[in-house]
Amino acid sequence: MSFIEVKQISKTFKLAKKKSGLLEAFKSFFKREYFYVKAVSDVSFSIEKGEIVGYIGPNGAGKSTTIKILSGILNPDSGECIIDGLVPWQNRREFVRKIGVVFGQRSQLWWDIPTEDTFLLLKDIYDIPDFEYQKNKEDLIDKLNLKDIINIPVRQLSLGQRMRCEIAASLLHNPEILFLDEPTIGLDAVSKQLVRDFIKRLNKEKKTTIILTSHDMSDITSLSKRIILIGKGRVLYDGNLKKLKNKYEDEKYISIKTKEKLDLKCTGLKSKKKSVDGYDLVIDTKVISISDILNKISKRVKIDDVDIENESIDNLIVKLYEDYKI
Amino acid sequence: MRAYYTYFKLKFITGLQYRAAAWAGIATQFFFGFVYIMVFYAFYKSGSGNLPMEISKLCTYLWLNQALLSLVTQFYRDRELFNLIRSGNLCYEFARPKNLYFMWYFKLLGQRYANVVLRFLPLLLVTSFLPKPLNFTFPVSFNAFILFLIALLIGSFLVVALSVLYPIISLLTMNEKGIVNIFVVVADLLSGIVIPIPFFPSFLKNISKFLPFQYISDLSFRIYVGDIGIYNGLIGILIQIFWLILVIIIGYFLMKHNMKRVVVQGG
Amino acid sequence: MKYYFRALSLHLKSELEYRTSFIFSFLSQILVFFSYYFVIISLFLRFNNIKGFTMYEVLFCFSIIQFGFAFNEVFARGLDKFDDLIIEGGFDRILLRPKNIIIQILYNESDFVKASRLIQAIIILIISLIKLNIKWNIFKIVCIFLMLLSGILVFFSLFLLAASYCFITVQGLEVRNVFTDGGKHMAQYPIGIFSKGFVYFFTFIIPYAFVNYYPLLFVIGKSDNIYYAFSPLILFIYIIPCIIVFYLGVKRYSSVGS
Repeated sequence: MSFIEVKQISKTFKLAKKKSGLLEAFKSFFKREYFYVKAVSDVSFSIEKGEIVGYIGPNGAGKSTTIKILSGILNPDSGECIIDGLVPWQNRREFVRKIGVVFGQRSQLWWDIPTEDTFLLLKDIYDIPDFEYQKNKEDLIDKLNLKDIINIPVRQLSLGQRMRCEIAASLLHNPEILFLDEPTIGLDAVSKQLVRDFIKRLNKEKKTTIILTSHDMSDITSLSKRIILIGKGRVLYDGNLKKLKNKYEDEKYISIKTKEKLDLKCTGLKSKKKSVDGYDLVIDTKVISISDILNKISKRVKIDDVDIENESIDNLIVKLYEDYKI
Repeated sequence: MRAYYTYFKLKFITGLQYRAAAWAGIATQFFFGFVYIMVFYAFYKSGSGNLPMEISKLCTYLWLNQALLSLVTQFYRDRELFNLIRSGNLCYEFARPKNLYFMWYFKLLGQRYANVVLRFLPLLLVTSFLPKPLNFTFPVSFNAFILFLIALLIGSFLVVALSVLYPIISLLTMNEKGIVNIFVVVADLLSGIVIPIPFFPSFLKNISKFLPFQYISDLSFRIYVGDIGIYNGLIGILIQIFWLILVIIIGYFLMKHNMKRVVVQGG
Repeated sequence: MKYYFRALSLHLKSELEYRTSFIFSFLSQILVFFSYYFVIISLFLRFNNIKGFTMYEVLFCFSIIQFGFAFNEVFARGLDKFDDLIIEGGFDRILLRPKNIIIQILYNESDFVKASRLIQAIIILIISLIKLNIKWNIFKIVCIFLMLLSGILVFFSLFLLAASYCFITVQGLEVRNVFTDGGKHMAQYPIGIFSKGFVYFFTFIIPYAFVNYYPLLFVIGKSDNIYYAFSPLILFIYIIPCIIVFYLGVKRYSSVGS
């Protein structure tokens, strides 16, 4: 049995309808309508100890619902979930000692006082022994470079500094599993890199299992080999990121700058769109080579400029969403 | 003007959506009114000579107070404006091509009216069926009723003019809670919400004569029950208008001063 | 409990970061509280008794209930403000911590400036006890301590019930004010001055009467019934179902979400 085992979990929410307008406001004063949203349905996966998994999907796909279920905040309508031998929502107190959670858009630090004070509170909350607390704290200060910022009131920290403190706060008790919900949101390139490097190192040195959600695909590519793609509450893809890339690797983007009208049809040309000053083409290099297609084009029109690109990971995700119609 | 009307309408409509809050408000106000009245009733029953108002008039006064509370109390504060100041999202407001003072004024006005519209009718209806003398009664005369409506309207403009001052002050002092709270407590006390002005100890009655607060609601309510006659009522309304203009002018220029300062500080 | 006191000290530290604000708020709280007993005093300037109770008897009654409320505002304010915790999602964070849920909620917020009310309530209590010429005995002393404790418990229980309601919806939560603020307002006076229906409701449904009415009668000598002296103990039982209801709410939260 795997470290984290999720079997066919489903969750439905009931929401109230809201309408605009004066009349509607009066109406809903007396009567209210509801509708149901399936947040996740039949989600299953398993994760081994020490894995880093990127959990991706568009907004509203069910990512945070899954994270809430895995961290014991929410229990599913149906399905099973066992993490390190425990059911998250049944053995709450015992279970939450094993996990650390970072919500990129929320803060657990006390706004008006230095981070170290929050650490002291967390020490009491997790009953961390003095010796272990000192060791962990120093370790985290060292690796996340917190030395100069830990004694400044949180409200005076920059976003990047604060996020580093947030991550440290979630790791003081040495959790075996770390949930990172958009940990790099709003950070600059340097801070992002720092956070990523730290996460990698944590995973390597302490074998911490990490589940990561992000809309920044570079986070995912630089951290995890495996992704789970979720859309409309269902798991659409679960597997190696590289394989997914390979699937689309044969496609190339060619943008042509020309003033003339291009009339072109051939095998291997997957799409052709008119752009502002020319055309954007997508070709399948298994069928037609780049030189062949350029050859064909140059016979028809005068090419002013040409640009050839590989599929970027962001585009790849957009394409995935399109393919799965989510 | 259209923009200000839109602000008013927006806040009004938003306010109407809080249906559950309104029902809860009705229940709360009913209960509070009842407790106030029961306390006074018990006092009246305990026998004492020095009564400034008949119990039936007093009860009507107190029910009006509860039913129209949102047009009366200073305590009612707009969270949105204060959050705006705290979070620093104020720069958006500064960027609008309209006068900020009147923008806020009409926002607050809309909100208060929405609150009152949802609440006053059920409360007055129910309380008018209570046994005498605890019930809500009709106005003392038709003229008094008309005068009451005018005084109430101007009073509601006055209360909003005063409550726009609070976010402005807290913007000026960068201190949300303290100073404003002191202001609010004093204002509410002196406007006769806690106990009607005729029941004030005489020194306090004299002080409040020279302040705007008793013109918020005490004037109109006492016109309604006939405790203030038509002639004195008219004079009261003139004083009310004087205060309204004065408070608006003060608020307007404080805001102007504020904006300069904030712009200089760079937000 | 160490973490609870640690959190409270952090709150104090946070509030002291804004020193002027803290001082002004403290002053304003003195004023707010003053406005409360100002009402009672001005009414007694005009009337000499209320259904046979004198001013100091009423102030005694008043101070007990105000003490209980202010105590909760300082030490359990998070429970009073539980709706914010639900709306802003902070409750999730609490569920992620390996400690008792209720205690974590208590310290989530604190309002130390309300300590000024606590102090004033005690001062008024002492003044009225001195002015009342009570024939003291050991039962009366015990009774007063029980009154203070039950004053804390009655609001704690009501806040718990209101917080449980937040698990269903935060709309219309203002109704809680009827029972907390409204109840507090009413229980400033000896409940016996109100009509029968009120007295029954606030004896058997929300037991304010056991906090500061029946024991009051005993302390000021209007009744010799020794049971009255121990009637505040009822609040120690009353809180149990309130706690149970709250935990049912927690269960619902984790199955329905927010």
